[in-house]
Amino acid sequence: MIRAEGLCKRYGAHVVLDGLDLRIDRGERVALLGLNGAGKTTLFRCILGLTPFEGRLSVDALAAGPSAREVRRRVGYVPQRPPIFDLSLAEFVELFTAIRGAATDGAAARLEAFGLPLAARGRQPLRELSGGMLQKAFLALALGDGRSVLLLDEPTASLDPESRRDVLRAVAGADLETTVLLATHRLEEVRALAGRVLLLGGGRLLFDGPVEELEAAAADERLLWVELPGPSRVEAARALEGQAGVRRVYANGRGIEVAVASGAGLDALEALRRRGLAVTDFHSRPPELETILERLAGEAHGGPVAAGTRRAGSPRDVGAGEREEP
Amino acid sequence: MTVRRLARREVVDALRSYWFVLDAALFTAGGLALVLFGGGDAEVLGYRGYARALAGLAQLAMFFVPLMALFPATAALAGDREAGTLEYVLAQPVTRGEVFLGTWVGVATAVLLSLVAGFGVIGTVAVARGVPGALVAGLLGFTLLLGAAFTSVGLWLSAGASTRSRATSLGLTVWIFLLALGSLGVMGALVRWGLPASALEAWTLANPVEAFRVAMVAVLDPEASVLGPVGASLIGTLGRGGLVAAAAGSLLLWSAAAAGLGLRRLATYTEPRS
Repeated sequence: MIRAEGLCKRYGAHVVLDGLDLRIDRGERVALLGLNGAGKTTLFRCILGLTPFEGRLSVDALAAGPSAREVRRRVGYVPQRPPIFDLSLAEFVELFTAIRGAATDGAAARLEAFGLPLAARGRQPLRELSGGMLQKAFLALALGDGRSVLLLDEPTASLDPESRRDVLRAVAGADLETTVLLATHRLEEVRALAGRVLLLGGGRLLFDGPVEELEAAAADERLLWVELPGPSRVEAARALEGQAGVRRVYANGRGIEVAVASGAGLDALEALRRRGLAVTDFHSRPPELETILERLAGEAHGGPVAAGTRRAGSPRDVGAGEREEP
Repeated sequence: MTVRRLARREVVDALRSYWFVLDAALFTAGGLALVLFGGGDAEVLGYRGYARALAGLAQLAMFFVPLMALFPATAALAGDREAGTLEYVLAQPVTRGEVFLGTWVGVATAVLLSLVAGFGVIGTVAVARGVPGALVAGLLGFTLLLGAAFTSVGLWLSAGASTRSRATSLGLTVWIFLLALGSLGVMGALVRWGLPASALEAWTLANPVEAFRVAMVAVLDPEASVLGPVGASLIGTLGRGGLVAAAAGSLLLWSAAAAGLGLRRLATYTEPRS
């Protein structure tokens, strides 16, 4: 169980966590979302006692902090970018299981399941492992026995699809009593693993609820991809400025991407046709997680949202070329 | 258990370091050359003929041993911080005290092992040529104390540095500063401010490099001919035994104080935002 009350973290004048209140119960699988710099990694570092903070923070009712060895004993951690120790795979496993006073058998079995058998790969230096294999090695250690909390900081960021599936399967198979807090930018991971989503933005909790509610937050929006010849892209962006239903326009390599209110896509294309702009191709799709996060972060500047509720607020129309910042 | 595991990793890291191995090899080669070719009048004077060669060996140690300790020590914590490995270690069920102690023990052990190996070669040749084994052991003991003092200094600087290169630059600056504060500094102070002998003696003993030098020369050179005026004054004040004990105390104090400051620095250091 993780509990935070009024958790604050500042780096100089920059406030990263601004009075965060949070409760995650034993066995919950929670996705931690937020744009880059939202404070996801900082929250992990506070839980691990790697950085001082203000407010209260506990794991299994034990206060977290730099001297909280027992908290760290209960937490398995996979960092965003696994650091490369100047060790072989076997030395790495041996060192970090020994620090925890555990045998290497469990980690060795998990590595075997990940396609990294110690018998065959143990002598291989960590620096020679691919990013995906390195990530799996860290996950194999983090999933060790006796952990009541698993902190995963974008653990699949550098993995190929097959490795990503292996990792997600391993996390999904973690002890049901283990609380999992997964920082990610991938909607499919949120859907596969998390029953609950926390969205951080501006140091605060902007959303706390199931993933379906999060997706519903952007159900009224579609992303329209429009391919145009190079010189006409700027003109196209200008043409859509102020057009009813158009919220954002992003210039891209071969065309423009337009965030439009549902049902307003054809109107946008008609506006381009009226200007005589030659559209060579187009398609429409639902917004990606990043887009949803940008919208919610942009909407919510008024304070934290209660658990199980989505922040209310109507989408704000944005002129062409603008991009909302968190 | 944790301290031992972390120490073992540091030993392996240090012994894999190119600079560390090169420094140790140069020290051994230089010491061997001094013992082999520096005692020309030994057939007439016996061990006294090697006194100057051994004093030269002490001078060599004064230059090389701090570097042998500073390279791995400054690289240890700051290098781990730069690589991100320190944060991962601190995310485990360890205290910062255990991490510092494990690192100190590991680096000091690597320095000790290389010095014992080097002195094993140099000392065997010296003893075979008539130098009393006790003198070689004394020189080794003081060299180890010097290595321990600079291990602590290196880790102190490393504990507060964000990168390995910054910690190593600081370490080299401190080393040059302490060397410059040695004989030249003492002479300059004497001329510039006309300091009393007691102040200059304290200055000499407070500098680990100078403390090592005067103690070694007092022990190894029966005529104390390269001791200098302050060293001679120290022998007059403390006697040879007292000077050696005071110098050993100074080196031990440097080891403990710098290690304490390093531990405090690591305990209060906020890892930068990644």
